[in-house]
Amino acid sequence: MHCVEMQDVTKTFGKTVAVDALSLAVPQAGIYGFIGPNGSGKTTALRMIMNIFYPDRGSIRVFGERLGGAANDRIGYLPEERGLYKRMKVREILRFYGRLKNGRNVNARVDEWLERFELTGWASKKVSALSKGMSQKVQFIATVVSQPDLVILDEPFSGLDPVNTDAMRCAVLDLRTAGATIIFSTHDMQVAERMCDFIFMIFKGRKVLDGTLETIQSSYGSDTIRISTDDGADALDNLPGIVGVRDYGQSQELRMAPDCDPQRILAQIISRTRVRHFEIARPSLHDIFVRIAGPEAKEAADA
Amino acid sequence: MLKTLQIAWREYKATVKTKGFIIGLLMAPVLMSGGFIAIIITEKKIDVTDRRIALLDHTAQIAPAILEAAKARNENEIRDLVTGAKIKPAYEITLVEPAADARSQRLELSNRIRAKQLDGFVEIGSSIVHPSTNPAEAYVRYYCENVLFDEVRNWLGWPINNQLRTLRIAHAGIDQEKVGDLFHWAGVESMSLATVDAQTGQIKDAQRPNEAQAVAAPMIMVMLMFMMIMMGAVPLLQSVMEEKNQRIAEVIIASVRPFDFMMGKVLGGLAVALTAASVYIFGGAAAITRMGLAEFIPYHILPWFFAYMLIAIVMFGSNFAAVGSACSDAKDAQTLTLPAMLPVMIPMFILGPVLKSPSGPFATTLSLIPPFTPTLMLMRQSSVMAIPAWQPWAGLAGMVAFALLSVWAGGRIFRIAILTQGKTPRFITLIRWVLRG
Repeated sequence: MHCVEMQDVTKTFGKTVAVDALSLAVPQAGIYGFIGPNGSGKTTALRMIMNIFYPDRGSIRVFGERLGGAANDRIGYLPEERGLYKRMKVREILRFYGRLKNGRNVNARVDEWLERFELTGWASKKVSALSKGMSQKVQFIATVVSQPDLVILDEPFSGLDPVNTDAMRCAVLDLRTAGATIIFSTHDMQVAERMCDFIFMIFKGRKVLDGTLETIQSSYGSDTIRISTDDGADALDNLPGIVGVRDYGQSQELRMAPDCDPQRILAQIISRTRVRHFEIARPSLHDIFVRIAGPEAKEAADA
Repeated sequence: MLKTLQIAWREYKATVKTKGFIIGLLMAPVLMSGGFIAIIITEKKIDVTDRRIALLDHTAQIAPAILEAAKARNENEIRDLVTGAKIKPAYEITLVEPAADARSQRLELSNRIRAKQLDGFVEIGSSIVHPSTNPAEAYVRYYCENVLFDEVRNWLGWPINNQLRTLRIAHAGIDQEKVGDLFHWAGVESMSLATVDAQTGQIKDAQRPNEAQAVAAPMIMVMLMFMMIMMGAVPLLQSVMEEKNQRIAEVIIASVRPFDFMMGKVLGGLAVALTAASVYIFGGAAAITRMGLAEFIPYHILPWFFAYMLIAIVMFGSNFAAVGSACSDAKDAQTLTLPAMLPVMIPMFILGPVLKSPSGPFATTLSLIPPFTPTLMLMRQSSVMAIPAWQPWAGLAGMVAFALLSVWAGGRIFRIAILTQGKTPRFITLIRWVLRG
């Protein structure tokens, strides 16, 4: 049984189609990453799974059942815009949210999580005194303190520094190890690549990617060359067989046209400059994302 | 139900722990009774500087009586009998002989007032004893700078008219002794009704009701009810709007049903009002008892007060919570507060007529309209006039029915509006949400 199943779900707001005939199945005990550009329908899809929004068409099942309302103690939800009472104290609000979900041993678990996120010293402070990163960690604890079976996180890493991102990433992985299913949306492709068992991309309300990173990358083939040369991107202008160049400064990523021979490309580059690194690879998730949702794709779609 | 109580408990703690609540608890009665206190304080702040009055008597028959009355007043009335402290100004009245040029004399006396040598002067016309002989000269005029508020003018009426009556009777050749009763003024005393003592079975004479029973008790009860609604129900509009805008509602809705969320808020407001009411009523009763005025506490009304308050806060609270859930920002909340407040405010504008005639059709009809019942029926019950026993029960039943309707309709609006962002729904949309869910 899948943890979440969406069948042909459509949601419109006025004349805008936010989600268009979306179907997906989220397996249990894994991490399912929602990616997509801003305004593509990620949050709407997550809110429909939560039953905060009702779909206009289609069906949604969570744990095999249609939900009657948003309230469900088996689901933990972290919304994109944080919802904390600013005048409450940190420990107090976490206990409140934990008890609202009928969590067990809430007091002990709150203290454990505060210690884990190094917030024990802030437990008696008001939420209004916290930094943005701290508030985000508190909101995360509020989401998971009741040990839900399904955790839905809308942009959990946005605004966090690398240390806090790592702390939260470890926490999410531990939840999966403990048997929870995690669905999260993110703009950080590296996070999605590293953490997600399954990746789902939505663009203009429609599903454009759905599967493991392996299957997604395989579908694009090894059409990418990662290269580093003495002359940088200047040496890569007008290379035959190359349809796109992405310059990262110290290295570049080239996208080959179908049926192009990488050996011939290497030979041409060597004739121009000294090559320090040359690697034939599958496209990164970032590259795939840009190919689908970047300016070129938009122009093609609009044409 | 447990989750509803958890929300109610949080709401309660969040309110009563604030400085605003504690200050409001202390300040509200002060502000409400501020007018009365100000009057009492300012009443004692009387200017006791002696008044210098010139008396110009064209009859030459009235001045002695005025001078004698002023002397008696200065000797007996201007000092506190216990402390001896001066509590009123003395009247120093100086007799002035009328001059040939009356207009010039008036100007001269007016200038003395302007120069602060006098506070005023009285001029008594020559025909005042027998006005019909020359109506143009039948006058008594008091000249001063502050014409409207000078208390001397009021005082002068008594010795002047007393003397005029004496002179007129004497001129008519009537013996003063024989007509003494002619001028006895009969006042009408207000009395309550005779009753039967429940313990002894004997008839108890009607009492003369005092102002505390007639006005203070109903007004205090109504003001208290109004304050409780303001403290328990009205803040829900702002609080729900904030929870919606800060996305707190989204997190809560993931844990509890919207209806339970709303009811938790309402119960929290009710607990706040109960706390405040308990402080005021038990504190007030203790203070009044200590002052030896326990007989004026309307104990029989208190159960009704709490019953009305409980239902009123559920009734108004669910309305305010629903309106708050429909607001998108503080401006919306500000705009919608006034119409939402109208059912609470309207009874406050008609307290006067209801208090004047608590058993009249106007008061009876309005007090049976559920949103007005908690204030108007309470006022009628607190008044000295008995109202039919069935009316409070009918009012209570109407309130219960209306409260259930408010909770049902409010819940239907709340569950949709609390998660609706962007444009504020129009009134017709709210109605549609109520009808279609």
